[in-house]
Amino acid sequence: MSLFKGLMDYLDVRLGVRDLIRQNLTGYLVPRRANFFYTLGAVLLALFSLQFVTGLLLLIHYRPDAANAFASVQSIMNDVPYGWLVRYAHVVGSNIIVIALLLHMLSVLFMASYKKPRELTWLVGFIAFNLALALCLTGYLLPWSQLSYWATTVATDAAGAIPVVGEMTVRFLRGGAMVGEATLGRFFALHVMGLPLLLGAVIGLHLFLMRRAGISRPPFGPDYEPPAPLTTFRHEDHPDGIPFFPHYVTKDLAGVFFFLAALAWVIFFAPVLFIPPTALEPADPFVTPPHIKPEWYFLWAYQTLKIFPSKVVGLGAQGVFMTLLAVLPFLDIGPERRPAHRPLFVACYSLGILLMVALSIWGHYS
Amino acid sequence: MANDSLPPNQRRFFLTIVLGGISAVLSVAAGWPVFRFLSPASGGGEVKPVEMPRAKIDVGGAQFFTYHGSPAVVLQKSAGEFVAFSAVCTHLGCIVKWIPDKEEFLCPCHAGRFSTDGAVLGGPPPKPLKSIPVVLAGDLLRIG
Repeated sequence: MSLFKGLMDYLDVRLGVRDLIRQNLTGYLVPRRANFFYTLGAVLLALFSLQFVTGLLLLIHYRPDAANAFASVQSIMNDVPYGWLVRYAHVVGSNIIVIALLLHMLSVLFMASYKKPRELTWLVGFIAFNLALALCLTGYLLPWSQLSYWATTVATDAAGAIPVVGEMTVRFLRGGAMVGEATLGRFFALHVMGLPLLLGAVIGLHLFLMRRAGISRPPFGPDYEPPAPLTTFRHEDHPDGIPFFPHYVTKDLAGVFFFLAALAWVIFFAPVLFIPPTALEPADPFVTPPHIKPEWYFLWAYQTLKIFPSKVVGLGAQGVFMTLLAVLPFLDIGPERRPAHRPLFVACYSLGILLMVALSIWGHYS
Repeated sequence: MANDSLPPNQRRFFLTIVLGGISAVLSVAAGWPVFRFLSPASGGGEVKPVEMPRAKIDVGGAQFFTYHGSPAVVLQKSAGEFVAFSAVCTHLGCIVKWIPDKEEFLCPCHAGRFSTDGAVLGGPPPKPLKSIPVVLAGDLLRIG
């Protein structure tokens, strides 16, 4: 212990670490009633870190060219020691991240934590959500399987519905008329460098905004009252709260380990849950497999495009929905956050979830 | 309550030990696959000799090839007399090149020189080039 104390003394004189720790960990009080959903931020940070590490490891053996990509992934799965574990962790991890992102967003919506003064935190988080989906989409092509190839063909083709510039957008996304070597090159560059850098910066900004405004108090319990409208900046303090470290960190760790356990369960007991049989055949640009479907989190969008008579209208509907979600804090400006006092919002919220689930199931079986 | 009889520092020490143990087990469980993933591929036991047609090497000429994953060179000193060496300089690991005019190997990094027997002729290399056995079987050279 004296060695630890010596090290702390050394750092304290130079960096004031004890003060930093007090301000940000032991003396930083967070809401006492913080529930499981409050841990999802930490869960996502842990899962993104895992994606970064497993992605880095996969890069060692993956070859980003059409002639070798599929074989290199097969080699990772079959020849490289524990390559299967690293790849499954990356594939399953990406799906678990989408689940955690959706839960994070849904809980923030339900508790109306996006309201003033946290509008920008929501907006930046929404951008991060979209970047994560873009990472999923670009990563999907990289194994160069039939599924990768045709799912990317269908996904990029949707952009063709944009009036005037649609065809040019599709060609630009693909780097040519069809999905091919050029598409793989640009998707690879985006997946391993462009998007992760951007996402890292956006997550950093999200955390900064969250820390600056303070963690929002859960809008539950008999003693909760909507706060008075803010006219000047004020960090939301919780004088009756619990210390961030160790109390809140313990809660966060419980959430992180719960999700890691779910990840491990899928890897070891249902490894092909997110890997359909068409993902096991090499890409063939001349043979389209039947019933090609996007990933489960894009099924709602896929089905929306199918049910509208025109692709432009379908794409427009998706655009309107996503834009409404992005700017929701600027439309829903009342101070009330308690779900029981927001019946209209809760009704729309529940119906919206039901609609998304129904569209996804319909898309899956259509 | 029974655990109230324990002083807080003892409980804290116990918890630290338990958490440390669990963390160590989890670290090893996560670290071992990563270590194995990053480990170089094992040779898989016996290494096959390299076969090469003798016609590929002129008298007084050299041919470079890969042996056990690293560069090697086979040389026809005189008609029918073949020798083979690792082409890795024993000084700092650069690859030697064959200088036919001088009939010696030269390491371009720090001018180490080796004879046709692999012996050091000059420069900083501390040891001769590592020799590799060569067998001539008909028109085929079997190296290694």
